[in-house]
Parts: sequence; structure tokens; C-alpha cells
Amino acid sequence: MSLNIQKFREKFIGFPTYLKHWVFTFKGGMTLFCLFILFLFPIVTQNPYFLGIFILAMIYTIFAASWDFLAGFTGQVSFGHAIFFGLSAYGVSATLVFNNFTWWGALLVGVTIAVTTGFIVGIICLRLKGPYLALGTMVIAIMLQDLFKIGQLKDYLWGDQGINDVPPLSNSSTVVYYTILIFMIITIIVLIQITKTNIGTIFKSIRDDETGAETSGINTTKYKVIAFMISSAFAGLAGGFYAMYIRSVGPLIFQPLYSFYVLIMAALGGIATISGSALGAFTFIFLSEILRDLNELDPSNALLTAFSDPAFIFSVILIIMIRFVSQGLLRPILEHLKEFWDILLGR
Amino acid sequence: MGIEEILIYGAVQGSVYALLALGYSLVYGVGGILNLAHGAYYLIATYAFYWTWLILAPIIGGIEGFFIGMVIGLIVAALVGMVSYLLLIKPLKEHEINVLMGTFAIGFFCEQLVIALYDPKTHSIPTIFYEYINILGKPIQVHWIIIIVASLIIVTLVTIFINKSKLGKSIRAVSQDPEAAMLMGINADRILMYTVTISALLAGVAAVLYVPVDLVAPYKGWPILTGAIAVVILGGMGSLTGSVVGAFIIGYVRIATNYLIDPVYSSLVPILVIIIILVIRPRGLFGKKEVN
Repeated sequence: MSLNIQKFREKFIGFPTYLKHWVFTFKGGMTLFCLFILFLFPIVTQNPYFLGIFILAMIYTIFAASWDFLAGFTGQVSFGHAIFFGLSAYGVSATLVFNNFTWWGALLVGVTIAVTTGFIVGIICLRLKGPYLALGTMVIAIMLQDLFKIGQLKDYLWGDQGINDVPPLSNSSTVVYYTILIFMIITIIVLIQITKTNIGTIFKSIRDDETGAETSGINTTKYKVIAFMISSAFAGLAGGFYAMYIRSVGPLIFQPLYSFYVLIMAALGGIATISGSALGAFTFIFLSEILRDLNELDPSNALLTAFSDPAFIFSVILIIMIRFVSQGLLRPILEHLKEFWDILLGR
Repeated sequence: MGIEEILIYGAVQGSVYALLALGYSLVYGVGGILNLAHGAYYLIATYAFYWTWLILAPIIGGIEGFFIGMVIGLIVAALVGMVSYLLLIKPLKEHEINVLMGTFAIGFFCEQLVIALYDPKTHSIPTIFYEYINILGKPIQVHWIIIIVASLIIVTLVTIFINKSKLGKSIRAVSQDPEAAMLMGINADRILMYTVTISALLAGVAAVLYVPVDLVAPYKGWPILTGAIAVVILGGMGSLTGSVVGAFIIGYVRIATNYLIDPVYSSLVPILVIIIILVIRPRGLFGKKEVN
């Protein structure tokens, strides 16, 4: 125990020097630059539309990061991450609308629901490997969507219409922006730090060779469930913010499309790079908006409408990516940028 | 609603599921692949059928248009299967996860494609076999009976094909041990392509048989996929007997839920089956690794 305290103290004291060195590395500089832009953005523009795009991108970043953590680092690929996202969204909406909770109280409820569900799903999926796990999670998500749609259960589950008029986090978009920005930064830092600890190594060992990990005496059951719970907690966080941003929630939140979106974002950024989900999410949202503007250029042109549908374009992008670039875009882009940076600095 | 309806409509559901699951199980047995694009094969087949019928019926006449539509649907289904294999499954065979994601993406792509090419609305193709005959004392449209009979014939044909023909034996060989099969001079890769094509064709058969009594809609791919997966998981991956048995079990349970409990819950049945079986007995009823 005292060894741990000693290590912690070393890390804590050494942190400012670490920070100084990190800033001057390429990755550190890049990250700070992006954070700088993000922090300054609301000062540049107060337009709720633009702020909204960034807010949505940040929410999806949290969501995608949670998926990346589970899939990229622990090897549990889930095609149904919308389960935690959606259940938390419902929980947050319900407590906000019917029980008059504050936003962080509701968020706490949502995350708790998500973590509990993560625990249950983790246990259910314990024996499932690879494709069966993806299948099982996808199927649970579809089941939730059908369940919440059922008219007969409307009194308990709100049916097709779902919950509407959910109060927002705050009436000022700027406040919402900064809150979510801070949560996003916390999420990414926490998740990356977890991967760097001993537990993180255990997760990676489960991903790379589960039998080997078991043979080494690691209780893979326990750690797989823990991984699910961590991932679902953050997915639930994203879900709660989503509900407060979109201000309504319905059975469609469980549809395979959303789990699919999260997959694309994480894949775009690079699976097993938590920070890649930020790149993926922002690219995704920007592309969607560009596509929507393309669409509005000429609403009467049916062909344009159809082909600029985000789901269509993204399924094509995903197919192309999976086929040719399965490691994601973040690393190659960063490497090219790094070469550029080195040339600039004359190395 | 009497027991006779349940018996007959349950058999219809079972027949359709059997066709879908047969192909799915084959692909898994031969290539170890969970093809999430199976729903897309069904979907594209229904749309090909629908468009052909739409275009040809006013010109040639309803009945001919219907039949030609069916044939076109089958051809398109097989083509899509082959293309999806060549483009996506073959290059990615080493990484299961990528195959999963790729076929998942194909499913979405096809759904969006038909919306883009046509419209997101629901349509239907009226069947030409709309006369009623009496089965077990109740009036049933002939088409339903045709589904049961056709499916029976095709399942039997496929079984004979797998057991007796050279290609069928090659398929079984590859499903048992790809490397040994290759040592015997069988091109496992080619065999997998044929298997995927056959499985897509079977999905197409299910599509053209079932869609005149069902709807043509972009979202139809997904319930078909979950249904096929449920049947194959219940029956056991890679077991053809299991697929047929599982198909009828799930078919009957769905129809029974439909009539005895409430139609809204019947879509939950395949999903519950998947979850329960995966947790209790992932092997399924007849699960084995080889195709038998």
C-alpha cells in the first residue's frame, strides 16, 4: 500500500515537468491547439446553430470514446452501444420532466442506469466471443427499440412518442457548450489514464489473447464486466447530454443506426485510440452538416436528396474504410502532420 | 382464430425461415462468417422483383410480369451475394471484426440505396395466386400453400445437392476442414464464394415467395436478419437439420404469439430466443462445426 502512495506522490510531483515536456511534443502541441480552438470558439461566435454542431460533436465524442474503450482496448465489440445511450437518455428525460431533478441529478440517475445495464449486459455477454458478442448486443438494442415502441406498455415506457419537452441543461448555449466541453475533456483524460494503468494492461491482454490472459491467472470474467461498466457509464453520460440537447427521446434512440454511427466515428478516428473518437465524431458531424447543406441547395432534386442522406454516405464511407484503411484515419493523418511539423522545425 | 390457422400460418413462417436459415448456416459452416448482409440480400431481391413487376406488368400483363419479376429477383439476389463476397468478405476474411462491420455496413447501404433509388415508402406486390382453397376446413389463399410446398421442395433439393453433388461434397469438405480440403485440391476460396452466392440465392427465393403476402419496404432487411440469426442460433450454427427444425419452432412460436397473445410482441420472439439461447446453450440444439 505504501508503495502505491509513493508512486502516486512521485507522479503528482513530477506532473508539472511531465506537462512541460508533453506540450512540446507533437501530440501534446496538437492537442493543446485543438483544445485552444474549442475553448475560444464560443467567444468567436454566439450563434446557437454553430455552437449546437460542436455540442453534438462533443456528445458523440464521449459516446464514441466509450465504445472505443470497450472495443479497441478490451476487444469487446458491441454493435448495440445505443442500449446504454438510450436507457440513460430515457432516465434523464424522465427524472427531468416528471420528477423535477436538476440537470446533474438527472445525469447521475442516467449514468447509474447505464452502469447497471452495463453490468447486466456484461454478465449476459460473458460467454459470447467476437461475432456473437456483436450480435447479442445488436439484438438487445433492437429488442429495446421494439419494447419501447409497444403501445400497450405506454403507461410504463411512453410508447412511440417517447418523452418530449425535456428541459435543457441551461438556456444559454454557451453554458451548455462549456459544460459539455469540460465533461468531454474529463472523459477522454479518464479513459486514456485508465488504459495506462495496470487495469488497462489487463484489458489489453484480454483483447489480445483471452486464453493467455486466463492462463496467467487473470479473472477475465470480472474484468470484462468492469470494462462494460466503465464503457456504459460514459455512454450513459453522452446519452444524458443528448437527451438534454435534443430535448426529447423516443424508441428510435435504440435503433441500430446510432450504434452504427458510433462505430463509424470510432473507426474513422482509429480504433484503440481514445482521442481518435474526437476526430471521428467531429468529422462525422461536420460531414453531416455539409451533406445537409448540399441537400438544401436544391430540395426539389430527389436524387440529390437521396444521395446526400447521411446514412447512405456514411455506409459507403464505412465500407470503403473497412476495405482499405482499417486502422482509421487519425494515425496516418497525424503521421503526415508530424512529418510536416518536423520539416517546419528543420529536423 | 382457430388452431387450423395457427398450424398453417406457422408452417408458412417456418418455411420462409427455413430458406433463410439454410443459406445462413451454410455460410457459417463453410467460412465461419456471420453474414450481417443477409437481410440486404432479401431486401434487394424484393425490390428487384417489385421494380420488374412495376415496369413489365402494364406491358406484358400481370401474370407474366409477376413471374419474370420473381426470376429477376432471384438473379439479382445471387449477384448481390457474389459481389458482396468479392468486394468485402474475401479481402477481409482474416479479421472477423472487419467482416462483421463490413457486412453490417452493406445492410445499411442497401437500405439507403433503395430509398435513394425509389422512395422510403412501403409498397406491395399483389399475388397472382389469390384464390382460396379449403385446407383443414378453413379458406386459405393458394399463395400460402405454394410457399410451404415450394420451400419444402427447395429444402429437399438443397439437402440432396449438399449430400450427393460434387460441389455439395466440396462444400461439406471445406466446412469440416478448409486446409485438408485444399490439400485435396479444392479451392476453398471459390467454394466459399459459391456458398455465399447460394445463400444469397436462397434468401432471394424466400424473398420472392414471401413478399407478395408481405410488404416491400426499406426497413425489411433487419427483421429478416434477426429472424435468420435467431433460427440459426436456436438450431445450431452449421447444422442444416437444426436450421430447418429451428425455423419451424420459431415460426410457430411467432404465429402463436401473434394469435394467442398480441401481434406486437411477435417481433420480440426471435430476439428473445437469441438472447436466451446465447446465454443458456450457445451451441444451439444441433450445433456442431460441420455442415451436416
